[in-house]
Amino acid sequence: MDRMQRILSLVPYLLDARRPVPFAQIREEFPGEYEGADEAAERKFERDKAELLELGVPLRFVKTEDGEGYELDRSAYYLPDVGLTPEETAVLYAAGAEALSSGAFPLATDLQHALRKVGYPGTGAPAGEAGVRFHAEVGAAGGGAVGEVLPALWGALAARKAVTFEYRSPHRPAVETRKADPWGLAMRRGTWTLVAFCHQRQALRSFQVGRMLAVQVNAQRPRSADYDIPADFRVDDHVAHHPWGHRFHAPLEVTVELRGPLSALWERTLPGARKLEDGADGRARVALGVTYLDGLCRHLLSLAPNARVVGPDGAAARYRELAHASAARHPAGGAP
Amino acid sequence: MKPATTTERLRRLLVLVPTVTQRPGIHLDDLARALGCTRDEVLSDIQLMQLVGRPPFQPSELVEFAVEDDKVYVALDQRLKKPPRFTAAEATALTAAARLIYPAASDVLGSALGKLEKALGASVRTQAEALGRVLDATQAAPPDAGRVGQAVRERRELRFDYFSPERGAVRRRTVQPLELVFQRGHWYLAALCLEANEERWFRLDRARDVALGGRTFPPGPPRRSALPPSPWGRGDVRVRFSRAVAAWAQEQFGPGSVTVHPDGSAEVQLDVDSEAWLVGWVLSFGGEAELLSPESVRRNIARAALASLE
Repeated sequence: MDRMQRILSLVPYLLDARRPVPFAQIREEFPGEYEGADEAAERKFERDKAELLELGVPLRFVKTEDGEGYELDRSAYYLPDVGLTPEETAVLYAAGAEALSSGAFPLATDLQHALRKVGYPGTGAPAGEAGVRFHAEVGAAGGGAVGEVLPALWGALAARKAVTFEYRSPHRPAVETRKADPWGLAMRRGTWTLVAFCHQRQALRSFQVGRMLAVQVNAQRPRSADYDIPADFRVDDHVAHHPWGHRFHAPLEVTVELRGPLSALWERTLPGARKLEDGADGRARVALGVTYLDGLCRHLLSLAPNARVVGPDGAAARYRELAHASAARHPAGGAP
Repeated sequence: MKPATTTERLRRLLVLVPTVTQRPGIHLDDLARALGCTRDEVLSDIQLMQLVGRPPFQPSELVEFAVEDDKVYVALDQRLKKPPRFTAAEATALTAAARLIYPAASDVLGSALGKLEKALGASVRTQAEALGRVLDATQAAPPDAGRVGQAVRERRELRFDYFSPERGAVRRRTVQPLELVFQRGHWYLAALCLEANEERWFRLDRARDVALGGRTFPPGPPRRSALPPSPWGRGDVRVRFSRAVAAWAQEQFGPGSVTVHPDGSAEVQLDVDSEAWLVGWVLSFGGEAELLSPESVRRNIARAALASLE
């Protein structure tokens, strides 16, 4: 019997059992499979058991009135009928297909297995019917191989193993070697970011996965964690959805004035903003919490002349400064 | 396709009997597609599974398939006709994938994820929740994304006010929505504009008063996988980036496309379709980028920056 055949056969065998099965009985009923000294045989069975657990087979050792041994609870093993509608299956499939085809998804293998199980009711719903596509900018910038790096980072994160990598940041002249403990992975606006505790800086730092090269996961003691992640850590708290959301300074409430066509589109132009007043000439004033004022100012400049910062004074002055700097770069009379 | 590891193959083998049980007579090619492997791999999986069973491993205690004219049936399932439950990693993967397109189908995905969560065992659910805190693929979207996604799925006409920066004006549009695409941080709707009678791309954050129409439309021919037009290319637009953002420009456009000047500034040549987009893009560098040409657009940059202060 080969190893796969033996491991798979343990499943129907234990599902069939009416009471916990002691190891001695397993040895007897799988003749030739767990031979040799007791200790070696048990170690072999432990390895098979570990493989089954990794497959999601909830095999466990129990002591009951019927005796002690290994048990595989049918109700815990079998996937119950999930009861997805054809539309739910189609949209879930579309989501999975988009994630897989993006070429950059950290749990691609697990996703594939999950989709097989979702597809198991056999509706045969074709992907694409949901009418939604997701296009990630894979490898567009930075030169790193995002699709190859992500699974390694996820593996390190799930097992709490430190990673070393080379980081190519446009803010620094040379490629740097970093060592870090991965705490979280997040995708925002098509870009994957690793939030990790950086050993050099002794602080949490964000790294664009596309800028990471030569990622090495600590291979020492693979079954024991190198670090802990605090229970209250949420990766969402460390990555921004919008340019003004990067956490570069203390939260600041900024008043923004929108005009023309943008005053009616304020909620969409500045997600998270709160309407203050409708001013003269169809202008609207909104309040927005920001933690990166320059990010907001640049975003508003891209909407010029239909947006500007009007308060508080320091923030309005920074916006004016950047607007004047932009104008000064483009003096009348042509480029030099 | 890379060969599967032992663990991956075992996971696939455990869903082989369930898949065929659910779809008796499934064609070998369809089975390979459903399992995400090749036809040869399915055939060798079938062979292997026929050696799996219960002691004393007599023929009646082994899994048995029948393959006739490339159609596959399960003759003896040996209690393997249903797949194992989701692992925590599988549940996390499905949830994260759903998050990528969640805003466009929040109603359907919300209920689907709720049902999947109920199908998890208690300990797996706790593990999956912990994994969900460290893996987050949530995408921001305008508030109408769900309604627009519903219109796409139900093939219902949509009406909305749309701001076109090129025209600098808002117009009411009636469209037949075809597809929602997330790209470069924005949601785009591909739709047949009934006024123009041609397919157009609409950026969702520029649409408001989105209303579902009562009229539905028939499905068209399958769409090729088009993407919203990229503003990039090579052409006559020349932009110089100051030393402060020169490295960023090199990363963005690739070192081969960028000329670095002795003062550390970097110059790129681009082809840009939309003048309005170009003005906004150069301004978004807050003075660290200069449009060298064309001259006509260059003037508009200074004008727009100063006009915003009035």
